[in-house]
Amino acid sequence: MTASIGVAMKRKEDPRFIRGRGRYLDDIVLPNMLYLALVHSPYPHARIKSIDKSKALALPGVKAVITGEDLDAAKLEWLPTFHGYDKQMVLAFGKALYQYQEVAGVVATSREIAEDGVELVEVEYEPLDPVVNPFQSKEDKIILRDDRESKTNHIYHWEVGDKEKTAAALDSSAVRIKERILSPRCHPAPLEPCGIVADMNKATGRLTVYMTSQAPHVHRTAFSLVTGIPEDKIHFISPDVGGGFGNKVPVYPGYVVATVASVIIGVPVKWVETRTENLTTTGFARDYHMDVEIGATNDGRVTALKVSTTADHGAFDAAADPRKYPAGLFGIVTGSYDFPTAFAEVDAYFTNKAPGGIAYRCSFRVTEASYAIERSMDILARKLDMDPAELRRRNFVAKDKFPYSSPLGFVYDSGDYEATLRKALDKIGYDSLRKEQAEKRKRGELMGIGISTFTEVVGAGPGKHFDILGIKMFDSAEIRIHPTGSGIVRAGTRHQGQGHETTYAQIVGEELGLDPQELLVEEGDTDTAPYGLGTYASRSTPVAGAALAMAARRIREKAKKIAAHLMEVSEADVEWSDYKFNVKGIPGKSVTMKDVAFAAYTNPPPATEPGLEATYYYDPPNMTFPNGAYVAVVDVDRDTGHVQVRRFLAVDDCGVVVNPMIVEGQIHGGLTEGFAMAFMQQIVYDDAGNHLNTNFTDYLVPTALETPHWETDRTVTPSPHHPIGAKGVGESPNVGSPQAFVNAVMDALAPLGVTHLDMPLTREKVWRAIREAEAKT
Amino acid sequence: MNLSWDGEENIPAAKATVWTFINDPAKIAGCLPDVESTAITGSSSFDAVVRVSLGPVRGKFKFKVSLAPQADRNRMDLKVSGGGLGSVVDLAAGADLAPAGENATTLKWHGDASIRGPAATVGGRVLDAQAHRVIGTTFENVKKALSV
Repeated sequence: MTASIGVAMKRKEDPRFIRGRGRYLDDIVLPNMLYLALVHSPYPHARIKSIDKSKALALPGVKAVITGEDLDAAKLEWLPTFHGYDKQMVLAFGKALYQYQEVAGVVATSREIAEDGVELVEVEYEPLDPVVNPFQSKEDKIILRDDRESKTNHIYHWEVGDKEKTAAALDSSAVRIKERILSPRCHPAPLEPCGIVADMNKATGRLTVYMTSQAPHVHRTAFSLVTGIPEDKIHFISPDVGGGFGNKVPVYPGYVVATVASVIIGVPVKWVETRTENLTTTGFARDYHMDVEIGATNDGRVTALKVSTTADHGAFDAAADPRKYPAGLFGIVTGSYDFPTAFAEVDAYFTNKAPGGIAYRCSFRVTEASYAIERSMDILARKLDMDPAELRRRNFVAKDKFPYSSPLGFVYDSGDYEATLRKALDKIGYDSLRKEQAEKRKRGELMGIGISTFTEVVGAGPGKHFDILGIKMFDSAEIRIHPTGSGIVRAGTRHQGQGHETTYAQIVGEELGLDPQELLVEEGDTDTAPYGLGTYASRSTPVAGAALAMAARRIREKAKKIAAHLMEVSEADVEWSDYKFNVKGIPGKSVTMKDVAFAAYTNPPPATEPGLEATYYYDPPNMTFPNGAYVAVVDVDRDTGHVQVRRFLAVDDCGVVVNPMIVEGQIHGGLTEGFAMAFMQQIVYDDAGNHLNTNFTDYLVPTALETPHWETDRTVTPSPHHPIGAKGVGESPNVGSPQAFVNAVMDALAPLGVTHLDMPLTREKVWRAIREAEAKT
Repeated sequence: MNLSWDGEENIPAAKATVWTFINDPAKIAGCLPDVESTAITGSSSFDAVVRVSLGPVRGKFKFKVSLAPQADRNRMDLKVSGGGLGSVVDLAAGADLAPAGENATTLKWHGDASIRGPAATVGGRVLDAQAHRVIGTTFENVKKALSV
């Protein structure tokens, strides 16, 4: 056997995906299955005066119409949100609180009849004035939530750091910047929308739930807690999932209504949302208005950071953050820089918009934080008239300071920011690009270079800090080696296209000296997989990957005994090296894991339990801190506002890389999403509370035509506390790239005096900024 | 999405004729374009099912129309509310009548509409163009009906 880790092995799951043989939620068709379609509120804020089901129920094929009143009678109208601070309506009850909110469900023999039934449900509304942004919400002139005791739209205040010390340091700083920076409301928009098939078998009393779930075990527990159905009577299966990005973590009304319908009627009920339903009702991301202040010395040493955020959470506080962290891991906002002191606070408000605030390809508010600090460092560089690369270099957390305790409470595991930036600047040819830019500026041409040297935080737990519904954020692995040396590997996570079936097999293959091709990886079935918290927040390799390595090491411990027995030596004389068991001092005397596996079933040592399997529940001692240096080079057309991304280089440090090809693919995908956020995507509500991006003609997703060519490279500083030194990579490109694009465009517009524009930098926005700047001169 | 329109039309008929005409829900209903069916629900109200095509939003919308004549002020107010396919349209319009010679009447009108749901997402320009088409056709039909 040879190494498995570090090999660009082709993805084991791809043959079935490429050939259309994946099995996604909508592929599941069960006998006697009914279909659910939902009635949505056209009003962002309205009292529901009456709901008349009669015409819908009279339509042949319609089996049931379910309203909030029906659910309330069954005590299923209100669900707890994941972090437990709020509750959310399943169906609008009393009031509709956002446009497109689910008001009723129609269950019918076909999807088409269900949709026709939706048109026949007559809802009488009394429209109310809507609250469309958090600043209006703050005034408390219109109180949105009748159900809460607290008669304010304010949800919570959260803060971290030293407020007084930071204020004093800012006051005494020679140089200060302050900017309001918006991380706009965007949507993960996975290619496959959300869906469920709920199948209550009244004969067995067992509920089987097929669901687009990033966290099937947690969902099973949540369903059990809410419905009272014992957990052993609920079987969750998350089939192949076509992208999640945090969108498939929350529990949505369609899931609940389909389940209720199946429990009542006793046949399977399917609900698959439309693209419009996905964009208008399921978890959005971000909507953080961040007031950032940085103090610095005249020579560019940062002295203090203060960030005050006003957060728009929509109608319910449904952000899937860990219980103790309502603003997630926003404390990572000091980024890669050694701030002597810092203070961050978040105030969250209800508005008449869809709920969410989910972690779109980031560990709970990390993208927002990273954007705020990286954008602000560029603004500071401009104020100091200093090269932004040089400003970053002067303030990096030095390599010898790790493990580094940040002023906002994190302990960074490892990194070499200086080396990563140097590699990026050398590779992109930074100095010659700056020369070219200087020449172009003389001719009035707008060229920009943008840098992002981000540090993110991934891999939640540890369990002592992080939990969801009280369940500690560990993850798990179970490995069972068959007599012939192949095996099955199960984990508590659930991939949505990330390539776990390959990556996990490589980790186990490396630890056990087995061929990853002969290790079947299975996830997503709660009857077979060990309990885990799921795949989001870049936690699969950092947490479940660690559990896999540890479970494999448990197998190796037992295998060592069997190897000693087979070679008729003492266990103390056996050592594991070169992917096999060798006898110390006797070259050539060895047995492979395959030999051991066979013996485990056919010839175990006396008084040894037969078989070869192990389980491990891994509670990480700390999080991991992937980082990187990204550089974007753009040319801005002065006449049209068009931004051409000429080059983009991502140098990532995600620790030890298990499969470089998969890592590169992850980075390409995340950069494309970052590009989309920077230039195209924002969920927009008008002043009347209308949601204006209800489909892919209005909410844009980049195609191959718009997507720039990505250049990638890496540095490796292994995580010292992770069994294989891996840090996780799924989110880095999404967390790290938007600010590189925006910094590049702002750099291009610098000669015009434009300091900051909020994403997305559409042609219109850039064109207007250029025209306004020109009008001033 | 909120939209407003203003305009002035010259109807080639005496003010009293125009006034009688626009007080009759059946006559008004007969002048609306793209109507699939109408039902007179009272002396000053009717329901209409209208074929709507707004970009991706295509299908039947149901509207309730009510007239509020103010004879003393020579003014007619009109409310339209309804929608379909998850969209809601509310329109409040008013017209002031003034004689323009013996056989002509000037109609000064104003309308405010609020559009919600998928129909609001197709954008102001598409909605505005459609609204102008509906308004234009309606007045053409009124003129035609009165000039016979």
